[in-house]
Amino acid sequence: MAVRIIADVLILIGALFATAGTIGILKMPDAFSRMQASTCVSTLGMLGAMLGALLYAIFVMGSASAAVKIALIALLIFVTNPLGSHAIAKGAYRHGIRPDKPMEVDDFGRDFDE
Amino acid sequence: MRKTTFPAVLATFVVCFAFWVLLTWKFTLQELAAGAVVSLAVALFTARFFIHEKAGWLFNPVKFFNLLGYWLFIFPVELVKANVDMAKRCFTGCTDINPGIVKVPVDLKSDYGQAALANSITLTPGTITMDIAEQDGQTYYYIHWIDVKADGEEAGEAIKGRLERGVRRFWE
Amino acid sequence: MSDMLIFAIFFAALAVMSLYRVARGPSAADRQVAVDSADVLITCALVLFSIYSGRGIYLDIAIISAMLGVIDTMLVGRYLERRWQ
Repeated sequence: MAVRIIADVLILIGALFATAGTIGILKMPDAFSRMQASTCVSTLGMLGAMLGALLYAIFVMGSASAAVKIALIALLIFVTNPLGSHAIAKGAYRHGIRPDKPMEVDDFGRDFDE
Repeated sequence: MRKTTFPAVLATFVVCFAFWVLLTWKFTLQELAAGAVVSLAVALFTARFFIHEKAGWLFNPVKFFNLLGYWLFIFPVELVKANVDMAKRCFTGCTDINPGIVKVPVDLKSDYGQAALANSITLTPGTITMDIAEQDGQTYYYIHWIDVKADGEEAGEAIKGRLERGVRRFWE
Repeated sequence: MSDMLIFAIFFAALAVMSLYRVARGPSAADRQVAVDSADVLITCALVLFSIYSGRGIYLDIAIISAMLGVIDTMLVGRYLERRWQ
């Protein structure tokens, strides 16, 4: 019983951070800030839900195969998500997407634009 | 084209086979033999893309425990701190931001160390590594930062000071 | 275990909310970021639903979704970068 409460609390924390990230995606003013907010979803939002599900799978269901698969999913997302973030941030900047309000410090544009 | 070396093939084979066992989770002889054949074929063809330094660095126990300590203790603390900060900004209306791209010097030498540090920076909400450039033998990261407070060296200390010291203990 | 079902529905609802940004977003990068985050949220919802229903097949779907979610982000990023030159 105690394990179920701990798992529920973990998933609740994950849902809280996922909500924060989704609000950020919907309301942030420019594309790069939205990327920052979406990192919130894919780190602690995902980790909270997966850790809770892992506790359930180990202690309540007692299924080793499900536990291994859940841990593998968490590891895959955790390792591969930053690669997509690098690619989309660099691609968006080089494509010419800029925030409406100019950035105060912009070393990337200074070094590579001209 | 890089040469395919035996330790690289062995390391790739071990990783592929571990993934096969974890995904199938059946321990009959047929499953294991099929997995071994497929992993060996994959390892022979792709090892030269994955590993081009010493493959056996993880057998050094000091480095191994430093790696574990980094991913279990140093990095999660930074992750939680940055996440709470980002969530606060999101829940209070997304107006408390001051985005910018800063250029930060990094002292790591090996490719793997640089990749680990760049991925750690990207995983903490609030900072995204956009590009890696090299000028006069010094490596620079271009980092998009949601709340620019400093520039140059100070920005580097604020963003990645602890992370870089942690990474340097296992990848030079 | 119906609390798992509630959480799964909550995560799926968050994914649907971020689809608003996909429909609305002014540029391709905004759309791709929203799709990426919706993909992660749907993966979490699938895992929680598989715990609720007790069937392993949803976990396999979640693994595939976690693997392929990165590839489309990298493809779109590379494509945007090439267009600039």
